[in-house]
Order: sequence, then structure tokens, then C-alpha cells
Amino acid sequence: MRRLLFLLLLVAAWPAVAREDALHLYNWNQYIAPETVERFEKACKCKVKQSYYSDNSELMAKVTGGAKGYDIYVPTSNYIPDLAKGGYLQPLDKARIPNLKNILPQYLNTEFDPGNRYSVPYAYTVTMLGYNEQKMKELGITVDSWAAIFDPGILEKIKGRVTVLDSPDELMAAALKYHGYSVNDRDPRHWEQAKKTIIAAKKYWAAFKASGYIELLASGDIWLAHGYSNDIFQADLGAQDAKKKFRIRHALPKEGAVLALDAMVIAKTAPRPDLAHQFIDFMLDGRNSADLTNMIGSGNPNREAMKHIKPEIKAMSAIFPDEQTAKKLEMLKALNTKERRLQNRIWTEIKAK
Amino acid sequence: MRRPAWLWALALAAYAFLYAPLLVVVVYSFNDSTMNAQWIGFTLDWYRKLFRNEEMLTAAWNSLLIGVVSSAVATVLGTMAGYAMYRFRLRLLPLMVVAPIAIPEILMGVSLLIFFVMIDLTLGMVSIMLAHIAFCIGFVAIVVRARLAGLDDSLTEAARDLGATPWQAFRLVTLPLIMPGVVAGALMAFTLSIDDFVITFFTAGPDSKTLPLVIYTMVKITVTPEVNAVSTLLMLVTLALILIASRLSPGSLKAR
Repeated sequence: MRRLLFLLLLVAAWPAVAREDALHLYNWNQYIAPETVERFEKACKCKVKQSYYSDNSELMAKVTGGAKGYDIYVPTSNYIPDLAKGGYLQPLDKARIPNLKNILPQYLNTEFDPGNRYSVPYAYTVTMLGYNEQKMKELGITVDSWAAIFDPGILEKIKGRVTVLDSPDELMAAALKYHGYSVNDRDPRHWEQAKKTIIAAKKYWAAFKASGYIELLASGDIWLAHGYSNDIFQADLGAQDAKKKFRIRHALPKEGAVLALDAMVIAKTAPRPDLAHQFIDFMLDGRNSADLTNMIGSGNPNREAMKHIKPEIKAMSAIFPDEQTAKKLEMLKALNTKERRLQNRIWTEIKAK
Repeated sequence: MRRPAWLWALALAAYAFLYAPLLVVVVYSFNDSTMNAQWIGFTLDWYRKLFRNEEMLTAAWNSLLIGVVSSAVATVLGTMAGYAMYRFRLRLLPLMVVAPIAIPEILMGVSLLIFFVMIDLTLGMVSIMLAHIAFCIGFVAIVVRARLAGLDDSLTEAARDLGATPWQAFRLVTLPLIMPGVVAGALMAFTLSIDDFVITFFTAGPDSKTLPLVIYTMVKITVTPEVNAVSTLLMLVTLALILIASRLSPGSLKAR
């Protein structure tokens, strides 16, 4: 009987133990520096509890399924319209986010969220090429154009040493750019042209790889990869860590490329909107924002962050492109159902051939 | 009958193929590099880091707890279902029991999420356990039923003739005889629960990470040897549990 009483007491006390001030962040993995988290926990006298997703579609499935309990999501911009329209976000109280002034104007007021009603830029990546400097020098290949992964003349020399992203959006965008079109071009004839280019180049590629190309670049098994700027940065760190003789370099193709801007939004059902606003303002502080770039080499839309970013990263023109190059970067817009179906068909053809 | 040498060779090759990747994981957990790209040197650093990584440890603990609780409950319910399916002519039950096995995991995950939201259950450890119990019952039931099918009915009848109540007959005669099947089902449920990503992803709440959830999202960036270290430890724990289970019920893991 006494044991039963004890158990009952324990159950009764449970919520009191579990209830502590906490911010629930639903984020990509390794997308916030541990020291930033520690600093925020000190500032807000609360705990930061993180959960992760590895793809925007995972986040969408979970959120639209009705999952509650999260305060902040960090989706890529082109997913914001759907989240906002579905009523899954709450409008921001800008009076509580004074640091918003630190964001560079070109990353604000995008068509994905006019007037930044719901979202605040977090970090960006550019999809580009990463290459093994030593090998490319030996072979006399200059990597400065999408031709490096599409032109059979160049590919002949590096056959089986190239990977491309396993993503119809990204690969089609690259092929469209190669032909001089916008990444958001919707003309079926241009898509056909891009498809032919991809199929012709496919036999020279080692694999379609969305992850894992980082290790392959770092180990020297792959000499050229179509990938995200921060992954290529990680590959270089890996190569240095393994005391390799070569370095992995970034190449932003001269034709232009895709820029993916991730943004912080507050969930409609957020248990702690107060902490969420505090967190967003905190992340817009230059030093906190710079932590992430210093850790993973992501692009940074924060003016104040530049002061705290390591000089060797700041100097990488591929991560921080000059104004001229920045103009050639485009964000992907969401496809409508009909376009998505056509793209799926093209992708199946590409994979089957 | 003597088995031919080529059959042995084939079996060995098959097992090497299955276990080599596991061995690589174990070896690379001692690698002095931040990436799995290449062997650099021996270190215990990743284990040291792991024991300071609260997040990974919590996730590992959650996985174990969910695995133990849901396999225990699923074993009891699954055994009951398996017995009922064998003993009585039922149409609906076998269908219901087998359905979670046949339904694609993602469908089950999404529908469970929607269901939990509908009944206003806070997503967390409890919702994950309920989900795991739901999909494990079927596996246990099928194993137990298969074991019952190979049983001689006259044993139970003899017990009844000698005055045992139905419950006594089940507990003292039938249950010990089908124990190997029950233990095998429990082990299967435990492994399925520890492994599961898809259903867990949908039913997990903000405060309930499991190891597969953490590892899966890490893989998108790079697999650090820390993941190897935690996987190695988990392998050891699972192996230990299987050994204990086989000790408790010696017949269960032997081929018959």
C-alpha cells in the first residue's frame, strides 16, 4: 500500500518536474553552434530543446500532420508561403525584434514573404561546384562554369570522379543555368533541352548523391561535386583534417546558381511565443549569427555578423559573392502541381536512361 | 549428411557481407579523424565526447526505454492475439493483426500522427511507445501462432482431463511449450522498436528524440565518429540483451 502511495505521489509530481522554461527549436541538424545555444540559455534563463529534420518535406509532413509543441521552425524560403497559407505560422511582432535592422536589405521582403510578416532570414547556402584543386590543376581543367559537370569534352577527363546532387530541383536548375535560362524557367522546351544535357552527361558521373559526397571529396575518391557551399566547406576541413596534400575549393559557376535562404518562423501553436521572439532577436545579433558561419561555412545575410566571421571564410568569394555575382544568384520558386508532375516524369526518364 | 564445402563458403561469404559494415562502424569509432573518409590513428576521444554529449545519451536512453517497454507490452498482447488466432476461428482478428505489418510504414506514421493529434494526446515518449506497440503486436502474434501450430493439442487436453482450469492449463502447459516463440517474438519486437525511424519520426514530440532520429538527421551533413561510437555501444547493449534472453530461455534461440 505504501508503495502504491509513493507511486501516486511520483505521478502527481511529474508535471512539476517536467515543467521548466524551455524553447523548442525544430531545426536542421548542426545548424546552430553549441556555444550560441549555451549563450542563449544563459540570456533567457531557459533550456533550448532541439529536434531535427533533414529535409523540408519532412518538416512539412510533420507540421501539416498537426504536430504541436515546437516554437520555432527553420524552413527554406520557398516553403514559407505554404506554411503561412495553411495557417501554421503566427505573424511576428517586429517591435520585439529590434536586431532585424542587421539583415542586409537584399534578403528581406522576398516574394516568399512580402514584408517579412512571418519570417526572418537565418542563413543561406549556394549550390555550386566543389573540386579537388590538385587534380584539376594536373588535368588542366578550370572549374568556373556548369560546363564542368555537363560538357562531355571536359567530363571525358574526369569520368567516374564526379557526383551531382540527387535532387530534380537542383540538377534541373543547374542545367537551365548552363543554357543561360533562369533557374525558375518554366518553358517545357527549355526543360527538354536541360533533360537532354543531363542525360548526355550522366554516363560520366559516378553517382547522384545528396549526402556522402562530402566524405568522397575529402578522401580524394571524387574530384568534382555538384553540392551545397557549406558541404564543400566541410569537405575541405575534412581533407585538411586527414592531412591530405590537396585542398577542396569552391567554384561558383559564372552562369549563376541557386541560392537557398533559410528563415526562422514561429509556429502558430508555439507554447512560448515570448521566448521565440527573444530567440529570433538573439540570433540576429552579429556575433551569434557569425558562430554558424564560422562552424559550417554557411552564407550569412547579417551585416553585423561580418565583423565576427573568420577572415579566411570572409575572403571566400564563393560564400560571400561580390555584388556582381550575387545578382546572378536566384532562389527556387515552388512548382505548381502540373509542373511538379512534368518534372517528376523528366526525372524518371533521367534516372532510367 | 555432410554439407558440401561450397555451401560453407557461400554461407561464410554471405555472413561476411552482412557483418563487414558493422565491423567498419566499430573500427571507425576509434578513428582519430572528424570524418569517416580515412583511417588516421587510434583514439578514444569519440567515446569521451559521447559521454559528455547529453543529447546523444538522452536519445540512446529513450531508445532503450521505448524498446523495452513497447516490446514487453507487445509481447503480452501479441501472445494473446497469437493464441486467440490459433484457438478460435476468427476472421477479423488475423486481418487486424497482420495489417500493421503489410501497411507501408510512412502511411502508418502519418495516420498515427493525425490520430494522436485528433485525440489530443501530447506527442512524446507515450505516443512513440503506443505506436511501437501497435506495429510490434503483429510480429509477435505471427511467431507465437506458428509455434502453436506445431504443438500437440493432446498435451493441453490431458492437463484439462487431470483437472486443470483453462488458465492453469495455459500457464503451466501451453505457455512453457510456446516460450521459445514468445521470446523470439519479444526479441523481434525489441529490435524493430530500436531500429524504427519512419513511424518514430511522425509520432515523436519535441522532447522525445530516439537514436535513429538523431543519427538520421546527422547523416545529411557528415557522420562523425561519435555516431560510430554510440552505434557500437548500442550494438553491445543489444547483444547483451539477446544473450540474457537466451540464457533465460535456453531452447528459444536454438533451431528446432
